[in-house]
Amino acid sequence: MSRLSRRAAGGITLAAAVMLAVAGCTGGPIGQNTPQSSGQSFVSGSGTNFYKTGSRPVAPDISGTTLTGQHLSLASYRGSVVILNFWGSWCGPCRAEAPDLEALAAHFQPHGVRFLGIDIRDDPTGADAFEHTFGVTYPSLNDPGDEIALAFRGTVPPAAIPTTLVIDRSGRIAARIVGSVTYNGAKALITPVAAEHPVTTDGAAR
Amino acid sequence: MPITINHGLADASNGFLLTTVVLYALAMLSYACDFAFRKERLIAPEPAQVSELVGVGPAGAAAGSAVLSAPDGPGGSGRGSAAGGPDGAALWPTGFWMRTAFALTCAGLATHLVAIVTRGLAEHRVPWGNMYEFIAAISCMAVLVLVAVSIRFRAYYIGLFVLIPVVLALALDVTVVYTPAGSLVPALNSYWIAIHVTAMIVASGLYIVGAVVTAMYLIADRNERRTLAGLPSRTEGLMMHLPGTTVLDRLSYRTILFAFPVWTFGIMAGAIWADHAWGRYWGWDPKETWSFITWVVYAGFLHARATAGWRGRRAAYIQLAGFGCLMFNLIGINLWVTGLHSYAGLSG
Amino acid sequence: MTGTPAGGNRGAGGTASPTVDPRQAELPHEGTAELADGAVSADDAVSADGAGPADGAVFADGARPAEPAPGPGAPRLGLVGWLRWGWRQLTSMRTALVLLFLLAVASVPGSVLPQEGVDPSAVSQYYAAHPALAPILNRLSLFSVFAAPWFAAIYLLLFLSLAGCVLPRTFRLVGAARQQPPRAPRRLARLPMAVSYVSPLPPAEALSSAGRLLGGKRFRLRTGDGWVSAEKGYLREVGNLLFHIALLALLVSVGLGGIFGYKANRLLVAGQSFANTPTALDVFRPGRLVSPSNLQPFSVALQSFSATYVSSGPQLDEPETFNAALRYSAAPNSPTRGFALRVNHPLTVDGVSVYLIGHGYAPEFKVTDGAGNVVFNGAVPFIPVEQAGLTSEGVVKVPDAAPSQLGFAGVFLPTAADQNGRLVSEFPAAQNPRVSLVSYAGNLGLNTGQSQSVYQLDLSGMHRLSVAPRPLAVGQSMTLPNGAGKITFTGYRQWISLAVTYDPGQLPALISGILALAGLILSFMVRRRRVFVRAAAGPDGHTVVEVGGLARSDAAGGFEVEFAELARELRTAQDGITESVSSDNDQSLSIREGE
Repeated sequence: MSRLSRRAAGGITLAAAVMLAVAGCTGGPIGQNTPQSSGQSFVSGSGTNFYKTGSRPVAPDISGTTLTGQHLSLASYRGSVVILNFWGSWCGPCRAEAPDLEALAAHFQPHGVRFLGIDIRDDPTGADAFEHTFGVTYPSLNDPGDEIALAFRGTVPPAAIPTTLVIDRSGRIAARIVGSVTYNGAKALITPVAAEHPVTTDGAAR
Repeated sequence: MPITINHGLADASNGFLLTTVVLYALAMLSYACDFAFRKERLIAPEPAQVSELVGVGPAGAAAGSAVLSAPDGPGGSGRGSAAGGPDGAALWPTGFWMRTAFALTCAGLATHLVAIVTRGLAEHRVPWGNMYEFIAAISCMAVLVLVAVSIRFRAYYIGLFVLIPVVLALALDVTVVYTPAGSLVPALNSYWIAIHVTAMIVASGLYIVGAVVTAMYLIADRNERRTLAGLPSRTEGLMMHLPGTTVLDRLSYRTILFAFPVWTFGIMAGAIWADHAWGRYWGWDPKETWSFITWVVYAGFLHARATAGWRGRRAAYIQLAGFGCLMFNLIGINLWVTGLHSYAGLSG
Repeated sequence: MTGTPAGGNRGAGGTASPTVDPRQAELPHEGTAELADGAVSADDAVSADGAGPADGAVFADGARPAEPAPGPGAPRLGLVGWLRWGWRQLTSMRTALVLLFLLAVASVPGSVLPQEGVDPSAVSQYYAAHPALAPILNRLSLFSVFAAPWFAAIYLLLFLSLAGCVLPRTFRLVGAARQQPPRAPRRLARLPMAVSYVSPLPPAEALSSAGRLLGGKRFRLRTGDGWVSAEKGYLREVGNLLFHIALLALLVSVGLGGIFGYKANRLLVAGQSFANTPTALDVFRPGRLVSPSNLQPFSVALQSFSATYVSSGPQLDEPETFNAALRYSAAPNSPTRGFALRVNHPLTVDGVSVYLIGHGYAPEFKVTDGAGNVVFNGAVPFIPVEQAGLTSEGVVKVPDAAPSQLGFAGVFLPTAADQNGRLVSEFPAAQNPRVSLVSYAGNLGLNTGQSQSVYQLDLSGMHRLSVAPRPLAVGQSMTLPNGAGKITFTGYRQWISLAVTYDPGQLPALISGILALAGLILSFMVRRRRVFVRAAAGPDGHTVVEVGGLARSDAAGGFEVEFAELARELRTAQDGITESVSSDNDQSLSIREGE
């Protein structure tokens, strides 16, 4: 066999070997049938991402109906920093962070920071009871069909429940916290964003 | 809307299957009688010289009307080349007992097919939906292969040996395993059952005949070795009625050559169907895993045939191991291990 | 089929030939070549006049220049030498055999022991039943055999061995396809199939008639001085290589699907809808390179689900039909379409497949707490614990009840009936639905942030309430003691569980499988054979024609027949021409024939 074809054979074999090695490292098959296969019914995760000005994706213009029947849209919040929190009354970590969120809402109220909740997979009665339990003062949009979560596709979507997005005054996503929020951690993240001036459309700060 | 089972046809099917068992048992007895009463060797042990086949030997022109006496396998008669030569070369079996045995086998096959068809008509579906029907279908396929191989390769001598497990299986089937006619569970209600399960049944029937012939090969091989070593062999009498190891080896190999692609196709069809029904084409369900194991072992057999030092007896053992995996796949998995494939229809 | 045993250095375990032809020294040796079924390689029969390595390479599968094996007195191998020896061992048939069996044996525990990926609850049960043995088995990855590193090592090695053997052979085949058949050997009588006869034609015409006949049968021809060489059956090697390469492609496809695909599960109660985004999925298993923020954005709504069951006969209680009425849209702004989802009839949207894999009941409850507020009002999916009557169990958590949180563990019976004092479900359809609840109050454990399964109640912070569970019909309530509240069974709905799969490697895997099957069938059906014809003037002036034949990979037999037919046709062709040409000599010829 000529040298060239031997080399080619060797090269292809090596490439095949690498492919196969990677193939051997994929995850296994999923469980079948009922949700009993997994103990949980939501995807959990954690982590914080912060995006510098200039590399922030634009938040989608979402809107919906609040638990009290009012219609709200994110566009109406332009000019304020919006803290968007995805939660559910059935979710343990959401319950744990609820007092911190309410405290943060109270703290940042005079700084032009507004809180908006997105209620996921909840019945309205249970969600109402949650807000009553934790004394939540900010409104929440009901999202039973995941339309609002879907709207964030391609930008910085909620990766799990709870997820908190920090949207700056120009309507761009500045940070994402996956998992429960702590008072101090979130405060450190929100303060610089709240201090930013809104940018004009040509990107220059006013 | 529920499908009404035609109980009259179902009962007829049961009757036909019972008749089949009786006919096969009688055929077995006839084959045995043939062995017992036949005096001369059944077939020449080695294939003929080609020149004699062509009819242009040293005598040259003498056999200008050369005629091939038989196709491959045991066919080559060492003595002459005229059509209808010594026993093994004839198309149809010779001797009263062998003829009777083969006729009974064919009659049994006919009633067997009728039993399966009537069962299918009674249930308004393809009749392989539970263990009772599987065993009936696979044993029918095995006898079909037996008849085909007997005619094609003049291999009538394998009749007795193939019928032994068939009769045993059917006897168990109609007594212990019997399930009344019924409908399919929704998961099985797809046209894929006609494709995937049929392929598995066809391949299983071929594998069964292959395994039986391999077992015969091992007996013949042991007999040959003992004869060469000058030792007495208990199977000497039996060997008179069987061809030599080469012929048996080749016969078993040809069966597997047929069966292996069908089994491969069956696995692929099963994967396609699994993807339709369960959302993934391969999930290491126990039955899938054992089908894979069976495939790998038979692939090993085919590789062994092409490897020096592994042909002959070792390859035969590998094939029998593959057959063992097949039996476990068919019976063990359905009965003892639960998985997505648990459609045996048996309780527990 | 017997013939001259192959001589030379022929593979590990091959027997040395007792009659080594002295010309062997000039022929290429074979390394760890696999032999096909005892057939003779043309190497032996080929004369030493220039039938070079290229010729031997066509039939001598895996032929390589020999290397001195390590042994006393032999030159020591350097690192490269050892690597090459190792590579040679890896790509030998023997190793392939061993690896194949290892693969089969390694798969056995994966079918006998419960596997994480197939049935995790069975694994938990195994732990409970064998507390000492289970952790050991887990350490050996025996609960996830097919994802285990040692299992991967076996099949990766096997495919490496396969690739290392098949790819060079492919190159060789491509090269050999352009080559001519070998020269005819001098002594055709040494071939396994040989015949000679007398022909009335002069040698040249006999040869050309043979050439025409063989050419007509699509043999590849090569003519020489006094001989014709013909070869046929290259498709066998093509089929063989196609099969093995397709297996490689299959594995790569499976790997690609695993890397770029994902699988997810979602339980959907009638009336609910979901979109394909991570927060909406119950279980989400992405491949390594899947970006969760860029899943296909379809939405599915379950309008209703209906199931019918066999109501009489030997298959009582077995499901007859399942039908889920869906509405779906491929993207947020796409039009919505309807679809009837059934088992064996999945929904495919935007390349993703949605399968119906389970169903059950979700009873609806309204809970009023001690303060008189309605704190819960919705459907709770209950999971079936037995198939015959679809008795289902579930848990209701009311974390916002005052003064203390409430939890209920319940059993739902679609067709409740009293059997010997016990309440069971007789039939899987909801003909007489009842729910029975055990009530608890206290701390559910949710407020500390702990993640919990929605199907399980953590009772460590709860105490059982003293109200006895009793079966509630639709509309009935149970009042809790000490002013803890009241729970009402308001109705029930059905739920379906969906499997969402995206596997970009699925179609390539299917194509690979089909190609593998095609290659397999081709390689089994085609036989490689060579036929040689020599014609020379014999001692008495007549032409003596010798025909020899050789087949590789013919363990199944059959070449004798073909060869015999071929020889007869050759003879007839040559005789036939004679008869038509010299008709006046008919009588004398036929007399000669008859002698």
